[in-house]
Amino acid sequence: MMSHRARGARAVVIAIAAGSLALTACSKNEGGKSGKDSKKDQKQAAVQSKAVTYVDAAGSTGPAKEVPGAKPGGTITVYQEPGLSHLDPGQIYVSDSGQVANLLFRRLTQFQEDDKGNVSVVGDLATDSGKSSDGGKTWTYTLKDGVKDENGNPITSADIRHSVERLYAKFIFDGPTYLQTWLSGADYRKALPGGGFDGKHLPASVLDTPDDKTVVFHFDQPRPDLPQTLAMAGYAVVPAKGDTKEKYEKKPVATGPYKIAENKVGKTLKLVKNTNWDPKTDSVRHQYVDGFTFQFGVTESTQTKRLIADEGDNKNAIQLTGSVDATQIQDVINDPDASKRTVKGYQPYVMTLTFNLDRVKDKKVREAVTYAVNSKSLIAGEGGAYGGDVAPNYFAPTLPGYEPSYDPYGRLKTPQGNIAKAKEILGGVPAAQKKLVFAYPNSEQGQRRKVAIEDALTKVGIDVVAKEVDAASYYEQIGKLKNPYDIYITGWGQDWPSPGTVVTPIYDGSQVFDGSANYSHVKDPKVDALIKKALTQEPAEAASTWKEAQHYLLENVIPAAPLWYTKQFQLSGSNVGGARYGSVSSLIDITRLYLKS
Amino acid sequence: MLQFIIRRTVGAFVTLFLIGAATFFLFVAAPSDYASLACGKDCSPQRLADIREALGLNLPLAQQFWHFMSGIVTGRDFPAGHCSAPCLGVSFYSGDMVWSTIMDRFPLTLTLTAGGAVVFLLIGVGAGMLAAYRRGTLVDKVATGGSMVLSSFQIYFLGPVVLTILVYSTGWMEDPRYVPITQDPVGWFVGMSIPVCVMATIFTAQYTRMARSSMIEQLAEDHVRTARAKGMSRRYVFLRYAWRGSLIPIVTVLGIDVSSMLGGAVVTELTFSLQGIGRLAVDGAVNKDLPLTMGVMLFGAFFILLINILTDITYAWIDPRIRLS
Amino acid sequence: MTTVTKAEGAPAPTGPDGFLSVRDLQVTFSTEDGPVKAVDGLSFDLHRGRTLGIVGESGSGKSVTNLTILGLHDPLFTTIDGEIVLDGKELITATEKEMEKLRGNRVAMIFQDPLTALSPFYTIGRQIAEPYMKHTGASKKAAWERAVDMLAKVGIPNPKERARDYPHQFSGGMRQRAMIAMALVCDPDLLIADEPTTALDVTVQAQILDLLKDLQREFGTAIVFITHDLGVIADMADDIMVMYAGRAVERGTVTEVLRSPQHPYTWGLLNSMPRLDSDLGTPLAPIPGTPPSLLTPPPGCRFHPRCTFRDRVGGNRCATERPPLGPDRSSACHLSAEQKQTIFVEEIRPRLG
Repeated sequence: MMSHRARGARAVVIAIAAGSLALTACSKNEGGKSGKDSKKDQKQAAVQSKAVTYVDAAGSTGPAKEVPGAKPGGTITVYQEPGLSHLDPGQIYVSDSGQVANLLFRRLTQFQEDDKGNVSVVGDLATDSGKSSDGGKTWTYTLKDGVKDENGNPITSADIRHSVERLYAKFIFDGPTYLQTWLSGADYRKALPGGGFDGKHLPASVLDTPDDKTVVFHFDQPRPDLPQTLAMAGYAVVPAKGDTKEKYEKKPVATGPYKIAENKVGKTLKLVKNTNWDPKTDSVRHQYVDGFTFQFGVTESTQTKRLIADEGDNKNAIQLTGSVDATQIQDVINDPDASKRTVKGYQPYVMTLTFNLDRVKDKKVREAVTYAVNSKSLIAGEGGAYGGDVAPNYFAPTLPGYEPSYDPYGRLKTPQGNIAKAKEILGGVPAAQKKLVFAYPNSEQGQRRKVAIEDALTKVGIDVVAKEVDAASYYEQIGKLKNPYDIYITGWGQDWPSPGTVVTPIYDGSQVFDGSANYSHVKDPKVDALIKKALTQEPAEAASTWKEAQHYLLENVIPAAPLWYTKQFQLSGSNVGGARYGSVSSLIDITRLYLKS
Repeated sequence: MLQFIIRRTVGAFVTLFLIGAATFFLFVAAPSDYASLACGKDCSPQRLADIREALGLNLPLAQQFWHFMSGIVTGRDFPAGHCSAPCLGVSFYSGDMVWSTIMDRFPLTLTLTAGGAVVFLLIGVGAGMLAAYRRGTLVDKVATGGSMVLSSFQIYFLGPVVLTILVYSTGWMEDPRYVPITQDPVGWFVGMSIPVCVMATIFTAQYTRMARSSMIEQLAEDHVRTARAKGMSRRYVFLRYAWRGSLIPIVTVLGIDVSSMLGGAVVTELTFSLQGIGRLAVDGAVNKDLPLTMGVMLFGAFFILLINILTDITYAWIDPRIRLS
Repeated sequence: MTTVTKAEGAPAPTGPDGFLSVRDLQVTFSTEDGPVKAVDGLSFDLHRGRTLGIVGESGSGKSVTNLTILGLHDPLFTTIDGEIVLDGKELITATEKEMEKLRGNRVAMIFQDPLTALSPFYTIGRQIAEPYMKHTGASKKAAWERAVDMLAKVGIPNPKERARDYPHQFSGGMRQRAMIAMALVCDPDLLIADEPTTALDVTVQAQILDLLKDLQREFGTAIVFITHDLGVIADMADDIMVMYAGRAVERGTVTEVLRSPQHPYTWGLLNSMPRLDSDLGTPLAPIPGTPPSLLTPPPGCRFHPRCTFRDRVGGNRCATERPPLGPDRSSACHLSAEQKQTIFVEEIRPRLG
């Protein structure tokens, strides 16, 4: 899942830097204005949540549609607090590296958004989003002509094969594992221990390159999501010739519109134009500015101050994955000049209060807690209407199949919790069942969440025992199968716009193991069957299966109480043009920026 | 004297080794390691094992420690390349050589430290001495009162205030930034002037008070009175007799301050979004980046020990009783 | 310069003023608790070549008086009244520059503890040469040679080498010799020795006193010798002034004061001094009570709260009226001359043995 790691590390650094992050945000002032914004965000999300379409060759040719008013030249400054952990595409999973990868690396396919936010998958290195046969078990890609890497070497099918095979090597461990697992099973590394470097390759029955331009994937079951999977930064091309293995992190070979000029991890990263990138082969990316200078170690608070001040170089600056500092949200909203320069929208994360089903066995307790939780006070702690929105169910507004009005627990009507209903359900429950151990991270944010949860549950007569957990290893602690906690707040977001990247990792019974994201340890035959079915269906068809799975989970199993959707709120300098919210990255769309002067 | 330095140097290396061992074993005693942090939320046991192996965390602890410590002397080979001595390993998080990362950040820390020290020694000690010399006059009252107020400020308060005034609301100055002095001396000076001055301001206050009280104490010494009784002028006595004695406490505190600043001025760096050694230390701890943490700790400890020795040598230079005993 | 050899029992020189003449000196320190009158109306004279011993307990004002003569008091906290005339020159009103020219040159001082009174940072030679350079304008080299000469003169063996040593490399007695060499390097007319032997071993003490006497004979220096040790004073001084709580209470020649003391305080001092020839069984008789606080000194005679003879004075005079002290042989006490004589002969002397 995206970006959780960077977020974890960042949270700790901010806590040290700021000392106290009093989130007083918008309890009073949020009134009509942000309500309107919220509706707008939802409208945008509605577009976001439409099923992704797969585009043919005609829609995959460049150049990309001009951004109105765009001008060439200049260098954009990018602020970010934590350093990028990886620049080797195979290792990239989180969104900060992912944003940079959008400028540097091309993949077989990529996401394309129109002005209304409709997302489709187009061919990037490939001529189209892919041709499936054999009921979705076989996918064939043909490479575009004239695509070269930064050194001027043409990209061939051998490079694609190499990019896939190197993922089997041990030094690649941090990226996504979908494709490898689909091709060679969970124990995929055993299928090609050398990662293709020793001259041994995957058999043609798995990955075939009949000629220089053609790549064929063979799976043992239908993989309708493949075009979206291949659009991930983790599956970007690594030309066989320039692969330096472990050293590739330092100086990867660019195929996108920009290449690395200087890279000091955690300090600066300078990108300059890649002259071997041909706009005619790319239907999405632009090359308006001469380059990007990333400055790391700039706290969110400082980023926000600099961008509000909008002086000198800050006019040309954007935030990478950081957002407006929660304490300064009001400053931005109340400054008409600054509020014009914001980019906002839903992030793909749904935050839930997850039950450890091995310990909270009484469904009545889970139901009562789901009624009792106070989304309103939790959201206030996240920065108010600009930090989050009430979540009535498990699907984020960014996910295909999102149902804004599906609200079985009346969360939208009573975001502060339905105390009466919860008390009523708890009526006959013995006191011993009403004691719940709640784990929370020992960060400022964790403290605020703890207070909100404790308050709400105590009101309905539940005895909450709050246990503090080291913030940096919070997910590791609650990820242990035999953890000593009953309830904990967890968040999850899609890897691409398909419920398959949400329901499968967190609710599939086969995912119950140490370190897994199935934090509730739900293992329900009906859910498992629905997941299996949906994964082999085409997106449109799968939608109803996913819907059935969600409804069944939320109403009959209750592995978690939905709390809130997280939102993105970024700021950019006044000289930055073309800034808009990118639905896929849930961040500013970095591929289309230009400088006004 | 030479024997003293040799003895202290040997002692310092033993101490460094012990600090390294303490850091290492305290670090690995923590409940979580980088591998499980990197493995993240959807972490299968296989994936965790892969990461641990890739980082060398699967080896026995003693072996990991030995590899690290011996690498400092002999250098090591990593898949990402050869790491020549003094090799502090390769950062888990960034994959960079820790030594080169530290060397990359050190100029900033050195600028902060040296710049700060120059400012607070010149202004702070100067003002303190002047206040002592003109004790009871307006000069003294301004210096004493001013340093009282300033020393109650903290960098994380004064820093943002100064930034807001000079940068964000007026635009008189640019955001603080570090440019190597070799590249652009003017840019280096201008870019670092706010952080250096803000940090030095707080130290200046401390040094003013310390220099003043130390000087006043010295002026009450018998031998200072003797010098006056010999007919030496007040100024001469002040600068030759009292000053020298008053240096000892100042050198002591300066040694502590400078060595801790060289180990990283975390608050200053965070306040001004600068990337020095202090930031590395925080990153190392937060990311459970063992080699980086070890490297920064040892680097900092090295300076503490080095400056300790230098301080002792300075004592000997100041005071012949130490030199000749 | 007149050289006067000390004659046993020689009368104190009379006349309005001597080489050093102090008149009605008042020294007040301002402290956090209020003003402290450390010296209250002190007058005395000193002639060339003679030695004045000033005796008194700690805090009696003897050291303050002498620091004031040199102008080494802290001007921030001290107010001074009266006059100090050295060889016709008024010192209280003198500028700092004039005082600097005087100090170490015409007036020199030896302090009690030679370890702390010498700077630990510079060589003995340099510390001796420094005032010589300053006051005579001699070159560094000449001054150094002079320092070595002086060290030889005060009996430091191997002075050439030892001049390069630091004070901590000297023994206590040698340090005091060096201190004396430093004080005498410019042939001062007046030497103020503030308890110069207190910190030293008894055997070393005698050597230092002999040295001072020899040097005085050679240079004809006038000496103010401050001590609380009556034995030392008997050996050194021509004249004695006894001080108590900031005032002089008795003065006279050494013989007069020690043979026939007139003031109850002097009696007390003598009484409290151990004597080698007294019976082992005779207990020492310390003066009852403690020295008064100078913040709130007792009115009248400052010694009266501790004085065992005050009821022999008529009325309440001791507590109300300050007893005067004459310029020559005299004591500041309301007892009549006959009473003093009788009490000493009948009550005090027998106890002294």
